[in-house]
Amino acid sequence: MKSKNTTLKIIVFVVLIGLTCAYLLPIYVMVTNSLKTLPEIQQRTYLAFPEVPQVQNYSSALFGSREFMIPMKRPILNSTIITVAVTVLAAFFGGLGGYYLSRSRTTFARVVFVLVGIALYLPYQAVIIPLTTITAKSGLANSYWGLILSYLIINMPLASVLMGTFFLSIPRELEEAAQVDGASKLQIFFKIVMPISLPAYASVAILIFTQVWNEFFIALTLSTPKTQTVQVAMAMTQGSTISPYNLQMAASLLTVAVPLMFFLFLGRYFVRGILAGALKG
Amino acid sequence: MISEKTQRGRSETNVSEFLVFTLPLLVFLLILYGTLFWNIYVSMSNWVSTAADYTFSGLKWYSYLFSQGRFWVDVQNNLKWLILGVVPTMVVAILLAYLLELVPFPGVESYIRTLILYPVAMSFVVTGTIWSWMYQPERGVFNTILGSLGIHSPFTYTNDPATATYWLILIFIWQYLGFSVIIIQSSLRTSELQEMVEAATVDGASKLRILVSVIVPNIRSGILVLVSLLLISTLKVFDIVWIVTRTGPGIATDVLATNMIVTAYDQRLASAGAAIGVIIFLLAFIIIIPYTVYALRKWFE
Repeated sequence: MKSKNTTLKIIVFVVLIGLTCAYLLPIYVMVTNSLKTLPEIQQRTYLAFPEVPQVQNYSSALFGSREFMIPMKRPILNSTIITVAVTVLAAFFGGLGGYYLSRSRTTFARVVFVLVGIALYLPYQAVIIPLTTITAKSGLANSYWGLILSYLIINMPLASVLMGTFFLSIPRELEEAAQVDGASKLQIFFKIVMPISLPAYASVAILIFTQVWNEFFIALTLSTPKTQTVQVAMAMTQGSTISPYNLQMAASLLTVAVPLMFFLFLGRYFVRGILAGALKG
Repeated sequence: MISEKTQRGRSETNVSEFLVFTLPLLVFLLILYGTLFWNIYVSMSNWVSTAADYTFSGLKWYSYLFSQGRFWVDVQNNLKWLILGVVPTMVVAILLAYLLELVPFPGVESYIRTLILYPVAMSFVVTGTIWSWMYQPERGVFNTILGSLGIHSPFTYTNDPATATYWLILIFIWQYLGFSVIIIQSSLRTSELQEMVEAATVDGASKLRILVSVIVPNIRSGILVLVSLLLISTLKVFDIVWIVTRTGPGIATDVLATNMIVTAYDQRLASAGAAIGVIIFLLAFIIIIPYTVYALRKWFE
């Protein structure tokens, strides 16, 4: 589908410039304003460059300061614990469930697949009241487990489908050979399938990590001051009229840093995960 | 793959193996569907304070919702989201994916892909925070740019009740464009389609003609997947509205998902909130059926 003519080149050039502006402008605004002083911010020249880059804004956003009452340190720690736990558990259990869905051809497997398919995009609003009740009644709300288990329940269908999609694409010959040698299904899974599927686990882990890290609705409803996540803390900096915007922008950068790093350095896995999640992999 | 016969022959070990693979998934599915049905039950109860009350009251809270003006504002806004969040995103994604296939310079494709895809790594909380800066009526980023071009901007963006929802939808399109493009790209890159395009090119068809009569009809499954995912995302939209406008000005940008949390938690009408949750679920269910049927066929083919 390659072609060379002038109209096409002009169109490409215009699209290139347009998209570059549209997608770099928000990042530019975030980075430059996170490096300004408060008086500079109050001049509201949001497009201007900072006179002297205020690198210490990041430590103020992280540890708090007199103007910034929402230090991001604790929320980042909370989100890291919750997200890593959910990612590891969802990838592991999702691998098991996904392997079953990808290998079994029974009616039962089809029924499970349909249930998973519907649960895949379940609106959180339809389960949040019972989840709140469960975590409150069981006392889990006061520990990380309330959010970890809630996210795990909600992300299991996605993790299973993603892993299953990858397992479907693995040739069966190895497994069949091991079967002939008398290996059990568990041995086949843990000794053959799992080791060759590590890239798939990486894709799924990155996708689940990003999704849980960025999740806001459930975190807003279920998190307590002790378990407050980054997105909830970030939302608190927004909306208050006296918020120091330079520190708010620094906090934004801290909030997106981890998933953005994943995207920039492990983009291949990211894209594969998204495509598998759309069942196109 | 074990055949049915050998499976029966070694049934004892197979049951425990079966449980290791399926039990975690089944348990989590059971809890998830349990909470879903529990929520339906709450919506038909009479829970109106912080203390749970499961007295059956039929569809009382549904008719309460239907009598509220706010509910119909939500329905209108959700319809705007469903149409304007999906159709333009899809059309632009198809055009852009096709353009990237035609791009004559190397490197441009991967540059644009990275450029428009990075927002998938960002949360709507952060995106919304940045965009509310861009949208500020006085000296916000957009109006500053327009001003420096000598244009006195008539836009007040999300501060204008009549158009606020459209400006919110623009943020959504910005965030989902890259995601949409890579899904369309993966449908474009099948060898059958490439052959058809080549045949049409040899026959002298124009590029636009090829797009309309060869490509679009042949990426229907990709379009189905993308439309379903976008419809679901716009139906569930919560974060952008909550962060950028908090349903305001007034309730001009309110949607079902934000009304749900306001009703259930701020107004303490848990049953009415649960009813909104059920309504969102039913709409999502309708959207997801064709997608699930397609996925089921593809998976077990």
